[in-house]
Amino acid sequence: MATRCQFENNNDVGVFAKLTNAYCICALGGAENFYSVFEAELNDHIPVIKSSVAGTRLVGRLTVGNRNGLLLPNTTTDQELQHIRNCLPDEVVVQRIDERLSALGNCIACNDYVALIHPDVDRETEEIVADVLGVEVFRQTVAGNVLVGSYCAFTNQGGLVHPKTSIEDLDELSSLLQIPLVAGTVNRGSDVIGAGLVANDWAAFCGLDTTSTELSVIESVFKLRDAQPMNIVNDLRASLIDTMA
Amino acid sequence: MPTYNLKTIGVVPGAKDFIDIVLSKTQRGTPTVVHNGWSIQRIRQFYMRKVKFTQQNWNEKLSSILDEFPKVEDIHPFYADLLNVLYDKDHYKLALGQLNTARNLIDRVAQDYIRLLKYGDSLYRCKELKRAALGRMCTLMKRQGPSLAYLEQVRQHMSRLPSIDPNTRSLLLCGYPNVGKSSMMNKLTRADVEVQPYAFTTKSLYVGHMDYKYLRWQVIDTPGILDRPLEERNTIEMQSITALAHLRAAALYLVDISEACGYSIAQQAALFHSIKPLFANKPVLIVVNKIDARRLEELSEADRQLIQGMEDEARKISNGGAVGDSGEEVMMAMSTLSEEGVMAVKQAACDRLLNFRVELKVAGKRIADVLNKIHVAQPRPRDGVTPGSRPPVIPAGVAEARARRAAGDRKKLEKDLQEENGGAGVYSADLRKHYDLQDPNWKYDIMPEIMDGHNILDFVDADIEAKLAELEREEEELEAQFAAEGGAMSDDEDEEDLTEEQAADLQAIRARKRVLVAEHRSKKNSHRNHAVLPAKLANARGRTADAMKESLGALGIDASKAAERARSQSRGRKRERSASKARAGDGDAEMGDAGEKKRVHSSKSRSMSRGRSMSLAEPRPGSGLKDVTQRNKGIKMADKAQWRMNKMAKVGESDRAIQTKMPKHLFAGKTPGHSTRNRR
Repeated sequence: MATRCQFENNNDVGVFAKLTNAYCICALGGAENFYSVFEAELNDHIPVIKSSVAGTRLVGRLTVGNRNGLLLPNTTTDQELQHIRNCLPDEVVVQRIDERLSALGNCIACNDYVALIHPDVDRETEEIVADVLGVEVFRQTVAGNVLVGSYCAFTNQGGLVHPKTSIEDLDELSSLLQIPLVAGTVNRGSDVIGAGLVANDWAAFCGLDTTSTELSVIESVFKLRDAQPMNIVNDLRASLIDTMA
Repeated sequence: MPTYNLKTIGVVPGAKDFIDIVLSKTQRGTPTVVHNGWSIQRIRQFYMRKVKFTQQNWNEKLSSILDEFPKVEDIHPFYADLLNVLYDKDHYKLALGQLNTARNLIDRVAQDYIRLLKYGDSLYRCKELKRAALGRMCTLMKRQGPSLAYLEQVRQHMSRLPSIDPNTRSLLLCGYPNVGKSSMMNKLTRADVEVQPYAFTTKSLYVGHMDYKYLRWQVIDTPGILDRPLEERNTIEMQSITALAHLRAAALYLVDISEACGYSIAQQAALFHSIKPLFANKPVLIVVNKIDARRLEELSEADRQLIQGMEDEARKISNGGAVGDSGEEVMMAMSTLSEEGVMAVKQAACDRLLNFRVELKVAGKRIADVLNKIHVAQPRPRDGVTPGSRPPVIPAGVAEARARRAAGDRKKLEKDLQEENGGAGVYSADLRKHYDLQDPNWKYDIMPEIMDGHNILDFVDADIEAKLAELEREEEELEAQFAAEGGAMSDDEDEEDLTEEQAADLQAIRARKRVLVAEHRSKKNSHRNHAVLPAKLANARGRTADAMKESLGALGIDASKAAERARSQSRGRKRERSASKARAGDGDAEMGDAGEKKRVHSSKSRSMSRGRSMSLAEPRPGSGLKDVTQRNKGIKMADKAQWRMNKMAKVGESDRAIQTKMPKHLFAGKTPGHSTRNRR
């Protein structure tokens, strides 16, 4: 089930929220509307928490995490770290890491089994990612972009990548990640997938501008509501070609 | 996708208004006064500027009109034809052409008169030349009155045209008048088109929108068409023809099977065959309407033949001219009244159009950009990953929770709390509410961030609990040990060996301390609601000589002398005045024999104290005054000059005065909106 929402009139929900299979972190906003969208959908199953990171609201872009752990940039304050630790269950390892590329969410993309990281990330960080998040780590680019976290979003079931990714790249990435992938857009043609969309294995949230075609692609590829990725080839093909070609 | 800004064309003023606009702009935009002493060169320039300015204004305004109106050749053929049908292309082009000519003529007039002005030999002649130039320009424009009026009407009509996108997915409803095109439109979209039981209710094109297969579709309702030659068709019918001819849409030809519209099935079939060429290159669907009144099966054999003939023809068109069965339905029955079959018609029409468009696009070049978006990359097995070893992690109960929510079970959310507690900006959410701690009572424990200048979190380590337990155990042990030794803790063991006198002193000291503390506290409390006074005033009551004597006496100090001294000082002083040094003029030495001071002022009533405001020092070298006497004489003269004025209470030159309330140069209106003010 993919839900459309906005953070204070901004469609880039992936900037202001981090969603994993074990927890969800939302930015602290002026109103509770954004938080409540997530709360309504997820709070029965996983903790939905509000926090700032490094004093900013860019929670989704600064942090990276999955079911096993959460990595925070070195700019995170002690109080924020303490707050997040208090909110999350003990199984989730929360760690602050010293990485020069401190927007971890932009530089790292992961699901519960595998992660793509920016080619320039420290070797040490790479090891921490592998240990804390318990994933295989690959240094990769998406459609020539080093900011892998910004230009793709994937879960254990499937993923959406930058619209300009070539078919060969798609196949290669798909084999690396071992999930079905499709190139696409969110928010009426935005190519920053990571910023426009947050997803886990049973829910996804995207910006309010997302068209119904984009939404149905998202639902299909992330296998939400029993949709299957092959729907894109079968049912949605005509709509996609007619809107985009 | 080209967009036409038919709705944003600027107003076209009438000829008279147009002239007024431009001339008043000239008046406001150029200098207006010729001064006496100007050279002829400058006068020529003055008038040339006016002529040139007016010409520029005309040019600008006319150009903007010419640019804004769409060029029939440049726009989509559908709109071009629609303009032709509605406004007559020739008339339209003529009007714009005339404006263009007028613009050129005005430019030429200006050019000529500027040339003439160069030879103007007097102010009068220059002025007359300017008048003639402006006059000729205005006459030229006055002649454009009808064109301008026509263009304004066209503009108003255009701004009300439906915004039809000629390139998007659209369904086109066509057929005889009164066959149910508008009712179908109302069933498919929310356009709410007028439906009436007489012919030609719909007099122009209407557009509505609907959603199907995640896409937006445009439904175009056209006026009814009659079966007659093209030349005889009226404007209303021609709009339908234009839409049919130029829009690449799915055409739905509606047939009224009940013949209640006043046209027999034979007539309707005939119309279909006569407008057949318009259906080429688009998916056509024969829609048999009003089956609630008469079922398809109730038709006579002849009528059935006619409908069959239409169906065959439509199939032929759909197959690109080849006779044969493509498997697609080209004839469908429905009733807009009972809504029977309406959705089936919509789906069939949309699917056919979509397939048609997709086929075209797949054959095109731009498909290459989209291929990756319709390609789902499936993972190939690789080493290190066994298939099925990476299951999704979905908590149990997600589906049930979703079903519950869909059934209307709604939990209280933060948002609801926010609304209950004063709304956004007022409500402050409890961040600790959902803390997941070992003991829920810890949630609201206050934890210091900094202690003794150290960041506490820097000292937190993983096994702090074990260390704390160790410490506590150690302390318990020590206590137990002490208790075993039998020593009762007591801190007054020093007091034991005091003498009686010392004990009394200690008592006194403690009593005094208590008094002091109590006093201090009471003062502190009372100050909360009082203004802070200086210490000498705040405590004035307590600080009497008597009090001092008493308190010092209590300490064994004789304070009578001090009290006496304090008394002598408070004795009333004799009132006396020491001679001011400043008034002494030449100095202390001469003060004694100076005697009566010489007055420097003219008026005896004037206070001598005033004198200090005038320096008595020697006048500055270079001030033009020789010595003090001379300066004082000057002061005297000034006072005298002012005297009468002051006496009559008249305005002097030192009074503040505003000479001109509104200086012309600041209000003469060269600046737009009179933004300049001389004083505020």
